[in-house]
Amino acid sequence: MVPGHVDVQSLAELENNLTTVTVPQVISALTESRETQKAVVEPSPTEVVFEGTLDEVDRFFYENLWSDGLPIVPPTRERIEQFLRFTDRKPDEVIGSVQPDSRAATIWNIAVNGVMAGCRPKYMPILIALVEAMVDPGYGVEHSGNTPGAETQIIINGPIIKTLGFNYEQGALRDGFQANTSIGRFWRLYLRNVAGFLLHQNDKGTFGNTWRVVLAENEDVLAAIGWAPVCADMGLKPGDNAITVSRFTGGNVIVSVFGSTAEESLPYLADAVAKHTGWELMFTVGPMGGSYRPLLILSPIIAKTIASSGYSKADVQKYLFEHARVPARMFEKYISGWTNLVPGRRSLYDMAALGKAPRIFAQSRDPDRLVPIVLRPQDFMIAVSGDPWRTNCYFLVHNGMLGYPTTKAVQLPPDFAARLRQSPFS
Amino acid sequence: MTCSYGDAKLWVHTPVSQQASGAWVDDIYRERIRETPLFGKPNPGDPIPRQRVELFRGINLEEHIDSAFYRRGWTDGLPIVVPTVERVHEMLRYSTLSPQSVLGEMDPLRGIATAEKLAANAVMAGCKPAYFPVVLTAAKAILLPEFNLRGVQTTDENVTPLIIVNGPIVQRLGINGGIGALGPGWRANATIGRAIRLIMQNIGGGWPGVVSLAGIAQPARYTLCIAELEEKSPWPPLHVDAGLTAETSAITILRAESSINVTGDLSDIVSVMGSATSAFSILHGGKVCVLLGPATALKLSKDGFTKQDVAKYLFDHARIPIEQWETLWIKKNIGASYGFPSWVGDAEVKGSIPVVQRWQDIIIFVAGGDAPIAQHVYFPTWGFPPCHVTVPIDLPRDWDLQDTNF
Repeated sequence: MVPGHVDVQSLAELENNLTTVTVPQVISALTESRETQKAVVEPSPTEVVFEGTLDEVDRFFYENLWSDGLPIVPPTRERIEQFLRFTDRKPDEVIGSVQPDSRAATIWNIAVNGVMAGCRPKYMPILIALVEAMVDPGYGVEHSGNTPGAETQIIINGPIIKTLGFNYEQGALRDGFQANTSIGRFWRLYLRNVAGFLLHQNDKGTFGNTWRVVLAENEDVLAAIGWAPVCADMGLKPGDNAITVSRFTGGNVIVSVFGSTAEESLPYLADAVAKHTGWELMFTVGPMGGSYRPLLILSPIIAKTIASSGYSKADVQKYLFEHARVPARMFEKYISGWTNLVPGRRSLYDMAALGKAPRIFAQSRDPDRLVPIVLRPQDFMIAVSGDPWRTNCYFLVHNGMLGYPTTKAVQLPPDFAARLRQSPFS
Repeated sequence: MTCSYGDAKLWVHTPVSQQASGAWVDDIYRERIRETPLFGKPNPGDPIPRQRVELFRGINLEEHIDSAFYRRGWTDGLPIVVPTVERVHEMLRYSTLSPQSVLGEMDPLRGIATAEKLAANAVMAGCKPAYFPVVLTAAKAILLPEFNLRGVQTTDENVTPLIIVNGPIVQRLGINGGIGALGPGWRANATIGRAIRLIMQNIGGGWPGVVSLAGIAQPARYTLCIAELEEKSPWPPLHVDAGLTAETSAITILRAESSINVTGDLSDIVSVMGSATSAFSILHGGKVCVLLGPATALKLSKDGFTKQDVAKYLFDHARIPIEQWETLWIKKNIGASYGFPSWVGDAEVKGSIPVVQRWQDIIIFVAGGDAPIAQHVYFPTWGFPPCHVTVPIDLPRDWDLQDTNF
């Protein structure tokens, strides 16, 4: 390692740090035998780690950094058992290993964190699908502590939206509905307690933000206008129960989109999409090129207006690809002028010549030519949700391969409906 | 819901550290004590909660926790102040660091030294919160590679860190450099040195008889912290020698193999230094330390001696004659297999062995009372590399407003 941050060191300091710290560490790592690390002994999954009053349990979990600061629901054996009733998978089944702590993700510890987050037992199949996405190498959970501090957005699709009472209408991204809220919190608690991301330790987000509540799509509207839900764009079928996770650094509302046709409303959306994308262009062309997947959420009325002009979702994506563009000189400033993300300050044209950028970025040498902000039209993710009667949209700026969109089907036990009937309050 | 535990409860920090891998350093202690029982040491017994904070309930809680901590190997044998969450929090208020800041991995067992773990051990040692900046700085100093903490912690020699405090903080905290300064009676001296020992044990893993293999050890392993008596010294103080301003507060840290009282004057110090007691500083090329009583320092100054002149005098005169050198156990045994530094060979040819390689390797400071018969201390040293570091003390921004009168 180099002590401190290289960008704030003088050449002399940097040289001193490299020669006195970094080089000896490299030599030591390459030439010395390492002591064998001892296995870490943690409480066994079914061990009762604490007994006490509700207040004591809550403080105990907080003091030991197992809670996010809000009260938790004590994960008692009884509560965990209730969660396990909504899956046929064995409690000790290992789903994968979660970086950075390399702890095993198990059905049991999913239930434990689900209880703590305030989930209801019947959410269990969704929680399992979420952790399957978390351990998928394509998602890249190990990046969850990086300095931009992006936060995961969970998108849910399928009939389960209504079965479990997700909010998919007015206030879709606000807390207030148990399913949306507690499942969002579950994701963050799982990152803390199983993955091992802790602030002031290995979660280095410069700012970060609170966990996002789950976004449920308005599938009635999607069906009415003939658009596929997000899970179908991601390779599953419309009507599948599925979750999609992806990390976004931030977002903004696009207010009062005006117009009665697609041609009237799309220019505003394209403008907003381009304006909200800056340094993230490094995920388009740059060190992590090709991984920029921003998310545009259309309110139902906007989606219907656009669709009534004969636009499919692919048409909207194509429109955005062609119109949400930035001047090449601005693109170059973001990735290598104002930042140090692409060393050498190469132009897009030069990068294309070296095979480091697609040709569409090098159709001329004119610095004012407009270039796309994603590599392919389908890189724009589009969802439909929110107040059906408001002409506002939302745009979420993406964190590229450091939390790449990943979709998993939610596997319900065959008699899920019967189990719900047996435990109506679960 | 009724609660059968009663009202008495304490939320208590775990003072032992984890390694980067997550393993707890005191696992080693537990395993070794179980494998090879150590005289008088209780079996650690029940599994230890592997948590940052533990809840204790019951009556006589402080006493109960003290016993539990002793059984777990977390104390130095003296009663401890229980590191409650509140006390640790108060301690941390006197630092510029956030609780999870990492100062380093502490040798030999590589426990991660966070500000919070350091604070928990400082509470246990009995430190007042205002002492914490000194403890933090001393911890920083022993983590420096040149201090060779791994060697200090694991050698069969009896070395311990010698902490000398300079600057305005001495007055502020009442750190004694005058009468009785190496003895009992002053809370700052007693607890700052003790905190460093507990830190070395609970974070670095230096458990006596288990990891730390010092053959007989020494009382200074409980605590060894003293101030320089700047107001009675005719010479610039240690931290000014190191290039800091007089208004800066700083600690200087050395390694002391023991502390030997010398009554008399320079010739008596010379006679103590030029003996078998300096054998290890010769073997490793160390830096030794001499504490001069204030009256003697004043007299020497009046006679025209600077501190450097005194060091040169001691260097020139504190010699082991070659006949005596040849009979020393260390020369005959370790010297034969391990070999002495080349400068020792050159000195043998000249007929006497200096106790260190250069006069600059004799560190001098002034402390002690105005006893009718002048008293001084010789601190022989141990270990490679020659080490003498002075580190300025980081004070919190609101330090001047803080209550430091206890």
